[in-house]
Amino acid sequence: MIFEAGQRTPLVELTPTSCLIRGECYPENISEWSEPVLKTLEDCLGNDESEFKVDIELYYFNSSSAKFLFDFFEFLEESAENGKAITINWRYRAEDDTMQEAGEDFEEDVSACSYNMVLVEGDSE
Amino acid sequence: MAKKIKSKDTVALHSFMQDRRTLFCYSGPLTEDLLTTISSPVRHQLSDKETEEVVAKRVFGVFIEQAQNIIRYSHRKTKATGDSIGTIAISIADDGFLIEAVNVVDPEKKDVLEATLVDLSMKDQKELRELYKKRLREGPPEDSSGAGLGFIEMARRVKKFEFDFVESEDGALFVYRGWVS
Repeated sequence: MIFEAGQRTPLVELTPTSCLIRGECYPENISEWSEPVLKTLEDCLGNDESEFKVDIELYYFNSSSAKFLFDFFEFLEESAENGKAITINWRYRAEDDTMQEAGEDFEEDVSACSYNMVLVEGDSE
Repeated sequence: MAKKIKSKDTVALHSFMQDRRTLFCYSGPLTEDLLTTISSPVRHQLSDKETEEVVAKRVFGVFIEQAQNIIRYSHRKTKATGDSIGTIAISIADDGFLIEAVNVVDPEKKDVLEATLVDLSMKDQKELRELYKKRLREGPPEDSSGAGLGFIEMARRVKKFEFDFVESEDGALFVYRGWVS
């Protein structure tokens, strides 16, 4: 399932074993945008696959979207606590200390998932 | 009644904007749709010249939070559609950018807003980062009237910020100015 990127929303690609979020996130209405994404994520996590890999590469998100990301991680944590092996890769660019700090802050609330800070080389936007 | 605007006033407006080095200014009803539309040209202005990408992103981040504050909390609305009215601008400052926002504040929320901003202005970056995390985990405190993550986010991105409340015929104006470099 693919949620195409919009001017203010990131690309989201969900499969039974993976989730990719890439781009910028400052939607007009965060709950309107995130509801179908979280619903699909729930479906993806509900299958029998034992492993799930999450890649997040954001360049900018606003304060309303921070709450969505927090809920998103909480959701993954619950699933990991229930036995799914989840790996989260928070991808950030070397010069982007804002996204690096954000990734470190989310990491503090994650314990059941395996969480990696991944430095991305160059401009992949 | 609207004041008659003469040719010299139009020139004065031009000179005024040029002199204060304002790259972008919008004043009027602000909606999320409009914000989507103006995001691109604002981005374009900022990516111009030799501005570092990280600085441009910080300016953009503060601009978005300010714009959404106006949309959510401006106490003055258009009669027909109820859209929030406010002013937002980005200007070149000595060693970076100045982002300004003005809107009429709800008189009942003014004191809480003022207390929140005084509190934020006394915190260093480390404390702001901790407060942001705390607010994210716990949600806004019960006595806050929406002054949550947005103002903390802005305080983290600016080098300094100032705010003021100024009386006007529409009610008290909330003035927020943030410098980014």
